[in-house]
Amino acid sequence: MTASTLSLEGVSRRFGGVLAVENVSFSVAPGEIVGLIGPNGAGKSTLVNLIAGLLRLTSGRILLGAADISTAEAPEIARAGIARTFQTVRLLKDESVLDNVAIGFHAQQKSPLLARLLALPAALAEVRATREQAFAILERFDMAGFAHVPAGALSYGHQRRVEMMRTLALRPNLILLDEPVAGMNDVEADALGRIFQGIAGEGIGILLIEHNMRFVMSLCGRINVLDSGRIIASGPPAQVRSDPAVVAAYLGA
Amino acid sequence: MIGFVSSLQPLGELVLVNACLAFSQYVVLRAGVFSLATAGFASLGAYGAAILAARHGVPMPLALVGAGLIGAVAGLVLSVPLSRLRGVYQAIATLAFVQIVLSLALYLEPVTGGAMGMNGLPRLIGGWELILVFGVIFYAMLALSRAGIGSTFDAIRQEETVAVSLGIRVVDYHRLAFALSGALGGLGGGLMALRNYSLVPEDFGFPLLIAVLTFVVLGGRVSPVGPVVGAAVLTLLPEIARPLADYRLLVNGVLMVLVIIYWPHGIVDTIRLHLRQRRHAVSQAAP
Repeated sequence: MTASTLSLEGVSRRFGGVLAVENVSFSVAPGEIVGLIGPNGAGKSTLVNLIAGLLRLTSGRILLGAADISTAEAPEIARAGIARTFQTVRLLKDESVLDNVAIGFHAQQKSPLLARLLALPAALAEVRATREQAFAILERFDMAGFAHVPAGALSYGHQRRVEMMRTLALRPNLILLDEPVAGMNDVEADALGRIFQGIAGEGIGILLIEHNMRFVMSLCGRINVLDSGRIIASGPPAQVRSDPAVVAAYLGA
Repeated sequence: MIGFVSSLQPLGELVLVNACLAFSQYVVLRAGVFSLATAGFASLGAYGAAILAARHGVPMPLALVGAGLIGAVAGLVLSVPLSRLRGVYQAIATLAFVQIVLSLALYLEPVTGGAMGMNGLPRLIGGWELILVFGVIFYAMLALSRAGIGSTFDAIRQEETVAVSLGIRVVDYHRLAFALSGALGGLGGGLMALRNYSLVPEDFGFPLLIAVLTFVVLGGRVSPVGPVVGAAVLTLLPEIARPLADYRLLVNGVLMVLVIIYWPHGIVDTIRLHLRQRRHAVSQAAP
C-alpha cells in the first residue's frame, strides 16, 4: 500500500447544540508520530471516531493522500489503510490470540464468496496462508507462545499487544491509537513505545491520543492540544509544554 | 429388535428435519442477527415444495431445491430493510414477517388451501434421502466454519465496532446470513411438506418459532454440531421420558431456563470452551 498523508481540514462535529469538535485542522505524514492531547471531554475520541468513519462530519474534509474520505463508511476507511485501536481494549475474548490477529487480514481476502461458502481448496489455502502470516506477526512481537490461548485470558499489557498486532495485520498507512498506554506502568508503556517507534520507522503514520504526558512528549515529533473541541496549540513538545494556553487548560498552572 | 429400530426411524427423521430448521436459526444468530424469521421461511418452503411436487408433478429433488430457493429469495428481500436494524428491532420485524406469511397461508385459499391446509400430499422423502440432504447441509455448515466466513460472523457478533474497523462489510455479511437462513429454512419446510402428508398454516406459527430458537440456544450457536445436538435433545426428550410428554412445554421451558443460567453458550460450545481451557492449562504447565 502506498504511503499517504492524513489531512484534516476544518473538521467540525455538532451533537445537538454542542460543538464537540470545532474547525480542527492538522495532518499526519507517513512515518510520523503525531500526538493529540487534551483534558477529558476535549473531543479527542470524537475526533478519532470522525476519522475512522464511525461518526459523520458536520463540516470540513478529511483526506487520505488525495482521496476525500469524509463521507466513506467505516469498513471502506479501514480498507483505505486507516487502522485503529480502542480506548478500552476490544478483543474477541473467547477466540485464540492467533484468530484475533488473523481476522485483521479480512480485508485482504481474495477468494470469491462462493469458493469460501463451499470451502473449496483455494479458499482453504488462503485461510492457511492468513494464519501463517498472523503467526509471523506473533513471532515478531514475542507472542508466539500465546498463539492458542483465548485472548480474554491474557494480562492487560498482552491484550494491548494483541490489539496492536491486529491493526498491523491490516497493513495500514496510518494507525489511530486511542489511549494505548492507559492503565500501564512506565516499563510496560516504554516497551509499547518502542514498538510504536518501530512501526513508524516502517513508514506508517501514527496519531497518538494519550493522557500520559511523559509518554507523548517522549514519542511525538509534533503535538496538537485540544480543548473544548478546538486546537489551542500545536508544535514540537518543548514549545507546547511552555505554551501559556496549554498550561492553563491542561497542565494546570 | 427390528420392530424397535423401525419405530425409531420416524423419530430419527424428525431429528434431521428439525436440525435443518435449527441451522436456519443458527446461521443468523452466529452472525449477530436477531432474526426469528425461520418459521416464515419454512412456511414458504413447505407450501412451495408441496405445490411443486403435488400439483405440478415436479420430482422430489427439484421441489426441494425450489423450496430452498424460495426461502433464499425471501431472506434476501427481508435483509434489505432489516440488515441495518439491530437486536430487538430486528426480532420484532422478523416476527411481523412470520405473521404476514401465516396470514397469507390462511387467506390465499386457492393456492394454499386456507385454514384447511393441503391434505393427501404424497410422502416423497424419508430414510436415506433425508440423511443425504442432511449430510449436504451439514457439510455446508462445516465449510462455513472452515473457510473464514464463520470467524467473520463470530467477529461481527462479538464486537461489531471492531469488525467494522477491520474492514468487514457488516451489512453484506448480514445479507448473506439472511439469505442462508432463508435457504435453510425453506429447505427444512420443504422436508416437512414432503414427509408429513399434510400442511396447515399453524404448523409454522409461534410454537415452531420458539422450538427452533430453543434448539440453538440449548445446543450452541458457534459450532455447527450445536444445533444438531439441540434438535436431537429436544426432539428425543419427550419420547424417552414418556411420562413427561404431557408436560412437554413445561419441561422445555425449565430446561431453557437452566441452560441459560448455567450454560449460556449452549451444550456444545460450553464443552468446547471447557476443553480448550483445559488444553491451554496443560500446555502452560508443560514448558
